[in-house]
Amino acid sequence: MKVSHAAVCEPGTTLVNKTGGWRTFRPGYDYEICTDCGICETYCPESVIAKKGDRYIPDLDYCKGCGICANECPKGAITMILEGK
Amino acid sequence: MTEKTIEIRIHGRGGQGSVTAAELLAVAAFEDGLYSQAFPMFGVERRGAPVFAFTRLRCEPIKLRSQIYEPDYVIVQDATLADVVDVAAGTQPKSLIIINSEKESAQFEIDAQCRIETVDATRIALDVIGKPIVNTILLGAFAGLTGIIDLECIKNAVSARFPGKIGETNAKAVQVAYDLVGGAT
Repeated sequence: MKVSHAAVCEPGTTLVNKTGGWRTFRPGYDYEICTDCGICETYCPESVIAKKGDRYIPDLDYCKGCGICANECPKGAITMILEGK
Repeated sequence: MTEKTIEIRIHGRGGQGSVTAAELLAVAAFEDGLYSQAFPMFGVERRGAPVFAFTRLRCEPIKLRSQIYEPDYVIVQDATLADVVDVAAGTQPKSLIIINSEKESAQFEIDAQCRIETVDATRIALDVIGKPIVNTILLGAFAGLTGIIDLECIKNAVSARFPGKIGETNAKAVQVAYDLVGGAT
């Protein structure tokens, strides 16, 4: 009988395993209201919000849709939008 | 209900309540006069990872203890799982796959010979319960689509498992899903 051992096959597998598909809601930014304060970036538990150019943009490949950014945004610039699955 | 054993596989993501759904289905079936089993199969036990749970129903005592390999019914709690795992694995032409999705069943590219039905359980959950928890709702849809288990038995099982307001709203959502799929036809 062949016994196989559990092991991490290779590093960096999260790059392949995109976890964004799990979410029910995605954050939608209204950049007219957004003041670039960066609170969303600070609070995001997945660290998927980053400033690209002059805007904060969530990486939807990994955003789990928790809505913390929308809850913490002082300007209410983020609304959670239902994902069509 | 025939002499045949009825086997159900529930696909979900860790934290979605697949195991609870399997147990509720077993409890409801038992109340409806059947013998029943429910058991989970975990892969990686973490939130979001694909998990399976199984329910086995029969008119007579069940001696079989194996995992379910050829399900008569498959319930898929998250439509994106259809891209990740083979939800049609082991299904036969007579099987039925129920998917939580707002899309039409024809839009799913699933390699299966059997019937596929979709129910927008997330929408019902948000409307009735206020949270995207769909397990009980899919049981209502299951009762409506298959007619195997009495709707009242499912509602009773849900109310008993979640006492108070949560049970009430879930039972209501079960009814909505049952009505949406057209009841037992």
